[in-house]
Amino acid sequence: MSKPVLVIGGGPAGLAAAHALASVGRNVTLIEKEDRLGGAPILSGYAKLVPSGEWAKDAIGGMVGRVEGNGLVDVRLNTTVKAFDGTPGAFSAILSDESKIDAGAAVLCTGFTHFDPVNKPEWGFGTFQDVVTTTQVEQMISSGNGVRCPSDGRKPKRVAILLCVGSRDRQIGREWCSKVCCTVSSNLGMEIREELPDTHVYIYYMDIRTFGLYEDLYYWRSQEEFKIKYIKSRIAKVTSDGERLIVKGEDTLVKRPISIPFDLVVHAIGMDPNVDNLLLSSVFDVELEGHQFLKRASTYDSMAGTSRPGVFVAGAATGPETIDDSIAQGQAAAMAVLSILSQAAAE
Amino acid sequence: MPIHEKSLIRPENIISHENLEIDGIDVSGHWSTFIKPRVVTDYNEDTEEEIAALPGGEFIHRCWQCGSCTNSCTVNALDPEFNPRYWIYLARLGMEDELLRDKDRIWQCVSCNKCTYSCPRDVNPEGVMKAMSHWLELKGHTPTSPSMQFDEEFSGQVFETGRIEEGRIIRGFFKRTGQNLMQDWLVELVKRLIRGLPVKLLMTMGLANIFRPRTRGWGPAREAIEEYVAERKMADRKALGLDEPGIAEQESEQ
Repeated sequence: MSKPVLVIGGGPAGLAAAHALASVGRNVTLIEKEDRLGGAPILSGYAKLVPSGEWAKDAIGGMVGRVEGNGLVDVRLNTTVKAFDGTPGAFSAILSDESKIDAGAAVLCTGFTHFDPVNKPEWGFGTFQDVVTTTQVEQMISSGNGVRCPSDGRKPKRVAILLCVGSRDRQIGREWCSKVCCTVSSNLGMEIREELPDTHVYIYYMDIRTFGLYEDLYYWRSQEEFKIKYIKSRIAKVTSDGERLIVKGEDTLVKRPISIPFDLVVHAIGMDPNVDNLLLSSVFDVELEGHQFLKRASTYDSMAGTSRPGVFVAGAATGPETIDDSIAQGQAAAMAVLSILSQAAAE
Repeated sequence: MPIHEKSLIRPENIISHENLEIDGIDVSGHWSTFIKPRVVTDYNEDTEEEIAALPGGEFIHRCWQCGSCTNSCTVNALDPEFNPRYWIYLARLGMEDELLRDKDRIWQCVSCNKCTYSCPRDVNPEGVMKAMSHWLELKGHTPTSPSMQFDEEFSGQVFETGRIEEGRIIRGFFKRTGQNLMQDWLVELVKRLIRGLPVKLLMTMGLANIFRPRTRGWGPAREAIEEYVAERKMADRKALGLDEPGIAEQESEQ
């Protein structure tokens, strides 16, 4: 029996890679550091996914189910990799439970870490209870409790969503665009308006990057059907008058300072490199790229490759990525693994 | 010391006092010059909803401020301050004070519809301009001007008879504006007309002023127009939550 393929991380990319490999008869050992599979969409309690509109617990839950129910996939929860050595076709890994496994190849599907907005204290997260993140709003919706102000549970009359929190900001060393937050925010805005039709939603933006088909399906639709207002301004400060939050900035279109009361302020938090990336880089001996995401080998030359032959990467581990593309990359990485394993077997 | 930035500030936002004492200190003269803050302190969501409720304004919320309307605008080419893109934005955020500063410009839209054809989001800016003008009027921001009174007299005659009669329009307009009919220039004009025009034409004109001829079969058209105008006025006022005109007012209009 051939050596299993080590898949690190049980999010959308890892689940896709594991399923793809198992479906062509390969053994897979799926390593997950948390106590359950599903990755960010499940662990962070996302609500409806873009662009399918399916609930995360159904869509990603289905992916978890088919992997868990597959006899070829050995799922190890609450586990990390401590050491990793060898060459393509003949790797060996030591896990955190001291068990040792041989592997033909490894796929790093280690994802990202949500930006922690306490690192932008001027925007009030951690100071004011009613300043929350997009992830928290996702949880309010997915839990069925609805969108409420955490301070007193009231329904917000006016909601501000601030884009690019932890993205496109040299001051905090995050010079990348997190790619999904514009679309996610317009989607959240629509969900808020759906639940609370009398609530006004304002999105403060520098640029709107609802790329590709998200343009009309999310950006336009949120304006045309849900009357969400987009205001071009990077907010300077979120403060409070004792009753409501006050959002301060410059409205660049009227060239005037604004100081507007809001009930709820939502930070559209970006995607940071996984906090474990330095550790992963040293354990697997793979290079990081300039932003501290995992470095990809040339796509034209070696799809889903890293700087180390036999070790592959997929999903948001390489940089901000959508769920659908992470799944596609997981499957692409599986294909790359199969091709290197058949080469190793032929030699 | 003069404030150099004064030139950048609108005159109405500069407050100065000839004599001013603060905490016992004399700060008269240029020391007492203050600038009103330009900070936008709140949005008013009602403004957009009101304009959207008027015919033509339905799609104002689609605007993403690209400026195609202003770039293609016929009037903007003549008056750079004529900026539909900007007014749409002010209406959407409810910055009514700012919008009202341009209340004498907004109605100057000539409805050429170039903006309508260039708008990538189908906002129908020409319709929005129309809705905005109606909004200004309904909200009482446009006091009755002589030209408005002329328009009312003119259209009133057309509605009534299906045609216009210059002499009656001038008399009606003078009456509405409280002007004396016996003005020197008018008397002179009439004298010269009498001297210069053929007798038959003069008689026709004179009779027309006395008998008020109508376009043949105008009655049903008049009724339809009046019904439509009344209906439209009612609907617009209702959309803005204004009191519907009373029965007496409707009767006096007819």
